Amino acid sequence: MDSSFTAAMEALERSPDGPDGLAAPFVSVFPVTGASVSTLGDLLGSETLAATDEFSAHMDEVQFDLGEGPCWDAMRSARPVLMPDVRTGAPASWPSFAAAIDSERLGSLFAFPLRLGPLRIGAIDLYSVKPVRFDRDQARQAGAMAEVVSRQVLRHALEGVEAAERPSPLSRRVIHQATGFVLAQLDVSPEDARLVIQGHAFATSRSMMEVATDIVEGRLRFTKGIGGIEAVS
Amino acid sequence: MSDAVTREKRLLQTFASLADTLVDGYDVVDLLQLLVDSCKDLLDTTEAAILLADANGDLDVVASTSEASRIVELIQLGAEAGPCVESFHTGTVISVPDIRLSPDRWAHFRDVALSEGFASAHAIPLRLRENRIGTLNLLRDAVGELELQDEVTAQAFADVATIGILHERTLRESSMLTEQLERALGSRVVIEQAKGVVAHMRGIRVDEAFGLIREYARAHRIGISRVAEQIVDRSLTIP
Repeated sequence: MDSSFTAAMEALERSPDGPDGLAAPFVSVFPVTGASVSTLGDLLGSETLAATDEFSAHMDEVQFDLGEGPCWDAMRSARPVLMPDVRTGAPASWPSFAAAIDSERLGSLFAFPLRLGPLRIGAIDLYSVKPVRFDRDQARQAGAMAEVVSRQVLRHALEGVEAAERPSPLSRRVIHQATGFVLAQLDVSPEDARLVIQGHAFATSRSMMEVATDIVEGRLRFTKGIGGIEAVS
Repeated sequence: MSDAVTREKRLLQTFASLADTLVDGYDVVDLLQLLVDSCKDLLDTTEAAILLADANGDLDVVASTSEASRIVELIQLGAEAGPCVESFHTGTVISVPDIRLSPDRWAHFRDVALSEGFASAHAIPLRLRENRIGTLNLLRDAVGELELQDEVTAQAFADVATIGILHERTLRESSMLTEQLERALGSRVVIEQAKGVVAHMRGIRVDEAFGLIREYARAHRIGISRVAEQIVDRSLTIP
């Protein structure tokens, strides 16, 4: 298990083919039938980026259309949703989704949130035909893999944006300073702090320079935890 | 002791401490900071800053006598359209004895410089043979040319900066100029990030944060870049 986990983490870190290859490593590590990676909500829109099989992609579609289901819960709560047995475990908050999957040959469903700092990006859905359980180690490993996937998805989505906006040396300076603020606020690496600034700029349709200036001048602050963006006036 | 003798003596001391700085594993940002501070102390200038070119040829402030954003912004304007970029491209000293008379294409630099109270500017290229790597820039609050003695000293400081940047790695490997420049500019990135961390933790302005980082580096005899790295990787909190 551990060697396959290490290999999967490496494959995710490299992900040479863009987001296409981000789902397969989950199937090689965990006892599941299929996996999908999708963006959800306002930040990047709802879209399946990678799926190991037709059924995984179909499950995403159903959840997008209904606006409910484990991937939405995982993203909104920023916590994993673990349903080892869908027949007995479907919560009341998904009446339509529960009805939609009722006729499917489905044992277990798991969803892990994709997020970076305060940014909610999407979710990873895993399903199994036979009911299976995730023990604590497996849940922790899936969480670690989801973290890498979060970074890759955000980086990929923002690649085109950054090219369009090449900041001047002066704005770079402010962006570096703001990166320092955010890495201290969220206790993350400088690379992640920068991605958070870039993602927030993208989400609010502003330039990185504008967001960075707000951060440096104390008008915008990120905090750890759910919904961690604070506009200070 | 006459002023001239005092000045000579202080110049000698400065070059002695510059030589001290150029030992194994020195911090290039420390060296550049010492150089701009020496310009301010020893030459007839109000502020001084060093710009280095990145891989795209964009000039970026790596050291400045003032971290106040208005000064950094002004130097940066001079690096877009002004004496700094002109000196960089021509590889010659560009003297602007009266900023009011500067050409229209420098209008933005001119207006901001005047409103900040500067009257003249001088940009000295940092170059080694055909390689141009950046400029040393002086901003003064009086009109006029630099005195010859100041001009010679400023050129010497610019040469020390060039040697310091290029030498940093050539001792160990004969790698590329661009890599050394990237390294110097990379140190500056980490320093800016560290300023952000300290400003956030202490609830102070970023230019004040730089002062704290410098003091700490000096008091503990560690390079500014090293201190900045430790602040950013969170292994050091400035008390």
